[in-house]
Amino acid sequence: MNEHLKDWRIHALAFVLTLIAEFIGTQKFAFGPLAFSLIPMLYVLIFGAILGGIKVLPHDMMEEASPYIGISVMMLTAKIAMSVGPNLEAVINAGPALIFQEFGNLGTAFLALPIAIGVFHMGRAAVGCCFSISREGSLAIIADKYGLDSEEGIGVMGGYIVGTVLGTLFYGILVSFLTSLNVFHPYSLGMACGTGSASMMSASLAAVVSAYPDMEAQITAYAATSNLLSSVDGLYMSLFIALPFCNWLYKVMTKNSRHYKDGVPIPKAAKNANK
Amino acid sequence: MNTAIWIKRIKCLIIVSAITSIGNMISTTKAGNPVSPLAAIPGLFFLLVCTILGCIVYELINKVSPKNLPAIAYISLVTILLTIPGFSPIAEWAIDATNKVGLLPLCTPILAYAGISLGKDLDTFKKQGVSIVIIALFTFTGTYIGSAIIAEIILRSTGVI
Repeated sequence: MNEHLKDWRIHALAFVLTLIAEFIGTQKFAFGPLAFSLIPMLYVLIFGAILGGIKVLPHDMMEEASPYIGISVMMLTAKIAMSVGPNLEAVINAGPALIFQEFGNLGTAFLALPIAIGVFHMGRAAVGCCFSISREGSLAIIADKYGLDSEEGIGVMGGYIVGTVLGTLFYGILVSFLTSLNVFHPYSLGMACGTGSASMMSASLAAVVSAYPDMEAQITAYAATSNLLSSVDGLYMSLFIALPFCNWLYKVMTKNSRHYKDGVPIPKAAKNANK
Repeated sequence: MNTAIWIKRIKCLIIVSAITSIGNMISTTKAGNPVSPLAAIPGLFFLLVCTILGCIVYELINKVSPKNLPAIAYISLVTILLTIPGFSPIAEWAIDATNKVGLLPLCTPILAYAGISLGKDLDTFKKQGVSIVIIALFTFTGTYIGSAIIAEIILRSTGVI
């Protein structure tokens, strides 16, 4: 039993960091029409990274903390799943366009993974980052399958941080731009807003609605339903389709690349030494 | 069934529930709708039970089959089945109870553990930081355009637009 009480310091620190972060609370910043926000989850990550970076935390404490991510993230999975049951009826009634556009979420892999491998020669972190838009459910998937301190974990955590800090800002700009192109019908733009993240949806939706104020009700309904669908199917879609697809694409793309050996990027230093 | 793993698991889930109940109080108070730690306990307890049930299913299947899904797939499934109104007798109670616990306050202690363990991976982060930022923005672009293209095709072919 004693060995289970030995690591009390990790939990005490997690408790203190959480309290400080929640007391600071969400802080919103706005520069004209562009806004971004910082949330408590980011503070605890940053606090931890600083404490580790200035070597206040002993190395074995960092090691021992890592299994607790995997356990606690399971409870987060349960909380995320809470949004499914009560909404099943709405999903069944959603209609073909809304259901099929869910597969558009695989666009993360189609667009980003080839760039990550072809341009940046990234390692397995690319898979963690590219199989989804790295929201809470994706953290849970990677933590469960690879562990958050793996290469894949670094990819998904990086994506999570970027999305949390810049997600709304970026979607505001991207969607205003796409709307101004006049390529897509406003309904399609509305459906695409539902990515599974409420804050990102609001930012995208605001951009579409401001361009088509007379269709606000219809666009909002499409966006909200699509967002609901994404939060319902998100976990299973990511786990059974997007992640295996990314793993496959990663294998195929790195197999014959001169920048990779056995699926691992060749470090720059080693390449220079071979010249 | 490994006892040490189960003790660690249950210990961690109880500690996270305790931290969350207090973090949740701070965050709901700031939002102007305070939920006391005591009021959050039934919801957290329900999530804890779903997690443990999911883990039990996972380990049972592990015993009979070498091929298995990750534990979170079962946890998610158990939670969904228990919260379909009309199908599960406790659905309404469970939805009501867990609504008192915010998603974000539950994430904070989890990411606190992640933050504590992050120190040892800082070098990897520094090395890949810039490319991860750019790639993440491409994933956001990809999902939006992907969904818009499919929606456009289907809405046009079904004659909605």
